[in-house]
Amino acid sequence: MLDVHGLRKVYEGSGRRTEAVRDLTFSVEAGELVCLVGPSGCGKTTLLKCVGGLLAPTAGEVRLAGRRVEGPPPGMAFVFQEYGRSLFPWMRVGQNVELPLKQKKLGRERRRELVADALESVGLADAAGAYPWQLSGGMQQRVAIARALAYEPEVLLMDEPFAAVDAQTRADLEDLVRRLWRERGITILFVTHDIDEAVYLGERVIVLSASPTVVQEQLKVDLPAERDQVHTRVSPRFAELRTRVYEQIQAAKRGGAGKAVQ
Amino acid sequence: MRRLLLRLFFALALPAVLVAVWWAASAGSTNVYWPPLRTILGTFPDVWTADRLRTDVGPSVLRLAAGYATAAVVGVALGTVIGSYRRVRAVCEPVLEFLRAVPPPVLVPVIMLFAGIGDTMKIAVIASGCVWPVLLNTVEGVRAVDPVLAQTARSYGITGPARLREVVLRSASPQIFAGLRQALSIGIILMVISEMFAASNGLGFTIVQFQRGFAIPDMWTGILLLGLLGFLLSVLFRLVERRVLGWYHGLREAGRRSP
Amino acid sequence: MKGADAALGAAGLAAFLALCEAVPRLGLVDEDYFPPAGRVADALGRELSDGAFWSALGDTLTGWALGLAIAVSAGVLAGVLIAVVPYLREATASTIEFLRPIPSVALIPLAVLLYGTELRSVLLLVVYASFWQVLIQVLYGVRDVDPVAEETARSYGLGTWARVRHVLWPTALPYVMTGVRLAAAVALILAVTAELVIGAPGLGARIAVAQTSQAVPEMYALIVVTGVLGLLINVGARSVERRALAWHQSVRGEVAV
Repeated sequence: MLDVHGLRKVYEGSGRRTEAVRDLTFSVEAGELVCLVGPSGCGKTTLLKCVGGLLAPTAGEVRLAGRRVEGPPPGMAFVFQEYGRSLFPWMRVGQNVELPLKQKKLGRERRRELVADALESVGLADAAGAYPWQLSGGMQQRVAIARALAYEPEVLLMDEPFAAVDAQTRADLEDLVRRLWRERGITILFVTHDIDEAVYLGERVIVLSASPTVVQEQLKVDLPAERDQVHTRVSPRFAELRTRVYEQIQAAKRGGAGKAVQ
Repeated sequence: MRRLLLRLFFALALPAVLVAVWWAASAGSTNVYWPPLRTILGTFPDVWTADRLRTDVGPSVLRLAAGYATAAVVGVALGTVIGSYRRVRAVCEPVLEFLRAVPPPVLVPVIMLFAGIGDTMKIAVIASGCVWPVLLNTVEGVRAVDPVLAQTARSYGITGPARLREVVLRSASPQIFAGLRQALSIGIILMVISEMFAASNGLGFTIVQFQRGFAIPDMWTGILLLGLLGFLLSVLFRLVERRVLGWYHGLREAGRRSP
Repeated sequence: MKGADAALGAAGLAAFLALCEAVPRLGLVDEDYFPPAGRVADALGRELSDGAFWSALGDTLTGWALGLAIAVSAGVLAGVLIAVVPYLREATASTIEFLRPIPSVALIPLAVLLYGTELRSVLLLVVYASFWQVLIQVLYGVRDVDPVAEETARSYGLGTWARVRHVLWPTALPYVMTGVRLAAAVALILAVTAELVIGAPGLGARIAVAQTSQAVPEMYALIVVTGVLGLLINVGARSVERRALAWHQSVRGEVAV
């Protein structure tokens, strides 16, 4: 479904060249939920923006269902970390969800259906008439997720979406993402710096190295599909997987440091 | 109920006291320049008859509206273009800074050269004075569109006219309104001045006529009417602003409660 | 980046001047109405070597500075008083809302009658217009005072004067500076307007004379001078504002409108 091949991104600005992403190759199957995890500052956001067509890669390519991504493709939806700045504050919740659908030239009836269904899915059926800033942080991120759902994407890109909400809300939102993924069978690429979150959510975890980024390791998460916050997180297999990812990230940090000295 | 009454009391007490003081202090006034308030208020309905309102106040307000609307459209359009492109902005900035700094009333003699002393001149004067605050604030607002918001729009395929209408202009609207507010007070000043310079009707013209003819109470009624007009326009502006920018005030209020 | 922007800006300015030269030369507008930039520059040179021009400039600046000083002192004093005296804010709110939008030019006929072409005419208009700019900003500023800081000061037994000095004033200062900057620009507009319309001595009156005597290039030269004056005042006020606020940026960030 999604193929990233030889992706490289170099920022050039005011005489300085920064190589954010060196050489990344991985793919995501249709209907898969893949988590990208890596040490902070390892170019995760850059990578995701290249995948989403928001940034042009310096080399390499991204293919969505075989077609090369050169700008934001219609089959992709993006959920940003900064939910407060990603929702349009001058529009009500319903209008926020509806705007991209208008752009897609969908009929009024169909739009209304999709908006109601998406808000219902995230548990905000009553909030359509509120302004985003009247809602709590967790609810705002739910709106952003609803907007992405209503867009009916083939691939959903999520950039550390829960980094700025409190722990309790975060657990709820993680379960929401798992549920939506299982119900709707969308392909999800989820970026996070939180190892537990990556293991709990993903069917597969891709560990990235420190910047300039390469794939450090790919790991299949063989936890049961039915997961819950209490039992899954204390299961021995969860602990093993977490330790493994943790070790890889530590290795990545050391490796990154070693390269920098060279 | 009690709170409402209290607020009403606070809103009305001082104005009432001030008017009363003016009334009392000027009651026995023999100074020609400071006629008793009673006389001024008594003169008001005689001076500002329906006829006068039509022949003098009407044209003034229409010119103001025409000039102000022109300035708003031109300012927002140009400001959006200049604000959207970094290079265009860099080229235009020094020239705009200079043009904005020219005190607008000195444009009256220049525009009189081109447009004579008719309505066109007055509308042009008002428009050319009002356009700068609108233009420069629009540039600032368009430039400052939140990058996350801009990327969100892009990733959902919101481009072209929809992006301009739903994202850029909406996001810049608080700044645009700040510019429009400044432009309104400049517009009123220019409306009056352009009529004081050369006109055969209008509020400014009439008030100066009264002053030259030493019709002092009449002149005072003119000053009051001009003040009332300024006040009404500002109330009208605030109503529109509160409607259009309701989201913005709510957002700021929410930000203040939980920083 | 900075250097490139400056170069682009200089190019823009040069292009603007070239346009002002070319448009009348090519006959696109009447040269009598819009003289080429070169002739305006000549006229500007003549003005600069004329003693009368410098005394006019001095008159304008005197009216501006004096009016601004009065307006700022009165605005700050009134603002602090309104903040400190209980209930005064509620009581004055409606009156301020009513008086502020009254256009200062409405006072022109009154100024003419009372003071003729004296400096006091200019001052009346300048002070009335710029006073509100300062007062409104001071009121915004005192509304922003942190209640916790105020309570703390009160609990340590600080008197009214000490609270004004150590709590209220530092909080309000950034707003006062913004008010002064806005007032400085408005004061120049009104000073020139008063001279132009009433005929009080200054650059405005000189423009009016140039206009009536059909000295078009001189008129443009004087307008350029008022523009440069406005530019200097804006730039100067902005840099003073920035310097005064260097230590205050963190507090200010979100309130800047």
